[in-house]
Amino acid sequence: MADITLAALDDMAVHRAKSGDLAALERVYRAYEGTVYTLARRMCRSPEDAEEVMQETFLEVCRSIRKFRGTGPGSLTAWIKRIASSKALIRIRYEKYRETEALQEDGGWAGRRDGDAGLQLDLEAALRQLSDTSRAVVWLHDVEGYTHEEIAEQMGKTVSFSKSQLSRAHARLRKMLGEEAQC
Amino acid sequence: MLRHCTIAELLDLRGGEGSAAVRTHVDECDACRAELDRLHQRVAALKALPSLTPPRDRWPVVRDALTRSRRRRWQRAGGAALAAAAALALMVGIPGVRGAGPDIAIAQEVDELKRESHQLEQVLHEVEQERRVVNGMVLTVIVDLEDRIAVIDAGIATVQTAGPVTAQLRDLWEERVILVNQLVATHVQPAAYAGH
Ligand SMILES: [Zn+2]
Repeated sequence: MADITLAALDDMAVHRAKSGDLAALERVYRAYEGTVYTLARRMCRSPEDAEEVMQETFLEVCRSIRKFRGTGPGSLTAWIKRIASSKALIRIRYEKYRETEALQEDGGWAGRRDGDAGLQLDLEAALRQLSDTSRAVVWLHDVEGYTHEEIAEQMGKTVSFSKSQLSRAHARLRKMLGEEAQC
Repeated sequence: MLRHCTIAELLDLRGGEGSAAVRTHVDECDACRAELDRLHQRVAALKALPSLTPPRDRWPVVRDALTRSRRRRWQRAGGAALAAAAALALMVGIPGVRGAGPDIAIAQEVDELKRESHQLEQVLHEVEQERRVVNGMVLTVIVDLEDRIAVIDAGIATVQTAGPVTAQLRDLWEERVILVNQLVATHVQPAAYAGH
């Protein structure tokens, strides 16, 4: 998708962005907004959260790009994605607190998330039904290609936590997608 | 192996970590091979989900936040005395310095920022508990952020005692939220914030 725009983001533009040039920073934003939003939207529960994550990511990217030292192809993408996934994970933890507060305020709406009533869902809908943590892990591991060690590091959890979240995610996806088979 | 594989075992197998027993079982069991196949297909389907387009252009917000904080940095660097004079004027209550005066919208923003800041503090508290050893570079970043938050807190205290809610107070809370956010991020993922 972003191949053309990414190719257009040459070394010169990155160099200028590092000096704080707003026009160059905007080019970085334009080149990566789709990538960052997609990552954030797949990990977060709502589009609003994803937009917040995208905004925080680019604010951080713009502030820290002068410290970015990568040179190899794809290193800027990897760096930006890492900031985005970190922001998304923080947002997920933060949502947990918001929920706790909402629970205290209006007597609770627990269980709203896991309401699969034997429906066969499409993949996107099924993904949305996962717990926030499982969804984040399955996305980072299976799509973004992060190792369990990297996910554990980012989440401040253990490798076995990441592995068990991935198993749980697949077990649930399998069920929701109507893949319950002979096994 | 006398039973079918669990999903965890199949995931390990896919990741190249499966035990010999699991591998042998999958080679010989049609059901488990089919399950592994479905696993591969599911992952392929996840990877094939379409890219998404942000519903709104957030660049103007990012750009404004950047320019605001640059301006503030510049003011801090060049105008400490000026800021002190402004704070004094505020406390003495010289008319006009306070700008538009109390404003309901700003008060709401401040409330929202306060809540956000409070929630971030809770997250921070949690990540601080679980954190392991950090290197000197990360520690420097953390200490620097904590110092900056302390400065902001002093500013908030000064402005708050001076009277009604102002845009200045809103800006301070906004900056506080950004800094606590960075502090959380530095604890959670030190390499990305201090190493590069
Ligand atoms: Zn079997």
